[in-house]
Amino acid sequence: MAAGVAAWLPFARAAAIGWMPVASAPMPAPPREKRRTQDRLIILNVSGTKFQTWRNTLERYPDTLLGSTERDFFFHEESNEYFFDRDPDIFRHILNFYRTGKLHYPRHECISAYDEELAFFGIIPEIIGDCCYEEYKDRRRENAERIQDDEDNENNNDLVTPHMTLRESMWRAFENPHTSTMALVFYYVTGFFIAVSVMANVVETVPCGTFPNRPKDMSCGERYALAFFCLDTACVMIFTVEYLLRLIAAPSRYKFVKSVMSIIDVVAIMPYYIGLVMTDNEDVSGAFVTLRVFRVFRIFKFSRHSAGLRILGYTLKSCASELGFLLFSLTMAIIIFATVMFYAEKGSTASKFTSIPAAFWYTIVTMTTLGYGDMVPKTIVGKIFGSICSLSGVLVIALPVPVIVSNFSRIYHQSQRAEKRRAQKKTRLARIRAAKRGGASAYLQYKRNGLLSGALDEASKEAGQALVSKVNPTFESQHHHLLHCLEKTTNHEFVDEQTYETSCMEMSLANQTRSRCSSVSSSPHGLSSCCSRRSKRKSFHVPNSTTGGGRHGSVQELSTIQIQERPLSNSRSSLNAKLEETAQLNCDQPFITAAIISMPTPPVTTPEGDESASSPDYSQSNIVRVSAL
Amino acid sequence: GFIYPESGNKRGLKARLRKLIPCSVGRRASARSQSNVEDELELSAVRHRPEGLEQLEAQTRFNRKELQVLYRGFKNECPSGVVNEDTFKDIYSQFFPQGDASTYAHFLFNAFDTDHNGSVSFEDFVMGLSILLRGSIQEKLNWAFNLYDINKDGYITKEEMLDIMKAIYDMMGKCTYPVLREETPRQHVDIFFQKMDKNKDGVITIDEFIDCCQNDENIMRSMQLFENVI
Repeated sequence: MAAGVAAWLPFARAAAIGWMPVASAPMPAPPREKRRTQDRLIILNVSGTKFQTWRNTLERYPDTLLGSTERDFFFHEESNEYFFDRDPDIFRHILNFYRTGKLHYPRHECISAYDEELAFFGIIPEIIGDCCYEEYKDRRRENAERIQDDEDNENNNDLVTPHMTLRESMWRAFENPHTSTMALVFYYVTGFFIAVSVMANVVETVPCGTFPNRPKDMSCGERYALAFFCLDTACVMIFTVEYLLRLIAAPSRYKFVKSVMSIIDVVAIMPYYIGLVMTDNEDVSGAFVTLRVFRVFRIFKFSRHSAGLRILGYTLKSCASELGFLLFSLTMAIIIFATVMFYAEKGSTASKFTSIPAAFWYTIVTMTTLGYGDMVPKTIVGKIFGSICSLSGVLVIALPVPVIVSNFSRIYHQSQRAEKRRAQKKTRLARIRAAKRGGASAYLQYKRNGLLSGALDEASKEAGQALVSKVNPTFESQHHHLLHCLEKTTNHEFVDEQTYETSCMEMSLANQTRSRCSSVSSSPHGLSSCCSRRSKRKSFHVPNSTTGGGRHGSVQELSTIQIQERPLSNSRSSLNAKLEETAQLNCDQPFITAAIISMPTPPVTTPEGDESASSPDYSQSNIVRVSAL
Repeated sequence: GFIYPESGNKRGLKARLRKLIPCSVGRRASARSQSNVEDELELSAVRHRPEGLEQLEAQTRFNRKELQVLYRGFKNECPSGVVNEDTFKDIYSQFFPQGDASTYAHFLFNAFDTDHNGSVSFEDFVMGLSILLRGSIQEKLNWAFNLYDINKDGYITKEEMLDIMKAIYDMMGKCTYPVLREETPRQHVDIFFQKMDKNKDGVITIDEFIDCCQNDENIMRSMQLFENVI
């Protein structure tokens, strides 16, 4: 029941007096009504903007935040009002919903901000009024598509497991040519050969000059038959190899075979093989000639190379209903006009309109305003209907076309925006990472100054990190204390990337010169998981730094990693010292332990520190694994 | 000010044809003579302001606060200040979702619309409520008689009563127990007439009605039911 109507319930109850005289049974007792408290004004303070309304207004919808006792959590005693730390502009609409019973969606607001506010106040979006519902749904769908787009791209680009099989990496190379040089080379080579093949098909048919014993010109294909045949063979071989490689690399072969692109590939190369098989048999050579027509389908292979072509195909698919309508209405009109023209021209002598199907050709040519002139009406009636035909043709064709065009434009712009977003994303992510790194190294700066309290201003000044929050020293100090506690718990210390890198390089050098069992102390943070192919024993898995793993470095063999209790010291030389220590966790076999070394891109010299990287920020660093000797 | 014009459902065929001819001017089908303007203009000029609070206080048995609450609720649903029949039917039907309350709402509307101008203003509304909630038994019975007497001629005939009864049973809808039969309203009317019509002349006058009701304990008791609704 609409909220406002509840105010009319007293009236409806009063009007029930009209039934009393005719009642056939005595009335039930009325519900006991407690002394109705006076309706009070409630003050809602939303981020400083004060809204006031009657209590009853809010209680019309008891299953929302404002209408139920949940709002008591937000009651602020000192000012005797309800305080909400939310957006007042959007709150305005929410309050209007209580007042009028209709929820509106303001078009200038961001859809996700609006959704959040609705979720906060416990209002389901489905009750948005009809006036605004469509707009809301459209914006929501757009947003969802955009997020889906981004996620898909992320999945595509970042799908890097450290141990990708050859098959997976091949498939990835095929789908995203930009991932490696080999893929790019392959991409361009196939593109080139598609072009060559198509050009060869075209040039084959060009007349190439006359021979004395031939009545007419020979086409180039016949003159240089061998050359063209070799070219064709080469192209088809490349295409076949490409198709087979894709088939092998595809994660789901069945799905791949069903896909449109693979069908195009097959259609492009089959004529050649069929031709090879059939050249001896003269009877079916006619069919063989027809097969050559299919060679032109090779041009569709370009759709892997061109996004615009794919968009066109997608548009046509999504406008299928409009195209169908166009076709249907054209067919209707053609039949009507052809019939009329046939009967109109039946009387005239030597008329070309010999039958209705013959008149179809005239109708089509006229409706599309081509007007070849091979068939023209001669009678006056025929001419009248002919002109009506051409006028109506313009209309019928012009109607569905804008729909198709607008669809294409929308899809095209969407893909443009997606491209732009992808390009911008890299810079945005890099900037965000730099900001995060700033926050992490605040702690290191803080420690470096050797103070456990109140060195914040100095730290931020020295580091020059604009992103360190100067406004909340309590938060900072508590945060640093927390990190310090973690260090004490694990008996390791945080260091920054560069120190870790240099120390690890030293370690690797040291490793290479030694060939004995030695343990390297390493903190849990800087190592990635080591699933050695020889044995998996007691490896210390650290999930957070693996993500950078297989991206750039070469994956090499690894044996166990052994963790050692490191002595608490801040000196750099302690690193080398640890190499001597042999407190191994398992010494059954003389494994040489190796460390995973993280090699981040910016090498910076820093003062002392320890070799552990500080936080998951360094996930993007490259990891090179050093083999055991 | 202007009163909201009657909606077009009473417009005759002639008037509709007249509208088609471009030079004619649309006329309202209702009896009053304010109707020389186009429909669009009529639609926009709809504002009705009630009499002052003091006057209403004097005319009804509500106090200031109650009138304020009533007016706020009224104005919220009908910002133009008057209720026309369709809105009235709409609002009333919301309380009876299972059946069809529109016929009964029509009768109710006529009962509230005491000056028969096709719309219920706030004064009409509040005066009706005043009688129903704060009036004496006599007044309430008077009001009920007025409701049943559809053509307001002072007599309730069997047909009028049958209409009213059917309208009431319509509000029940069809999912009832026991199942509603065709002749149930008629039987109910017969019982009612048997009780009320003392001189068996086929109509019920106001005196017969009030007399009979005052002698019936059930009815007397039920009249007091909604005293403290506001």
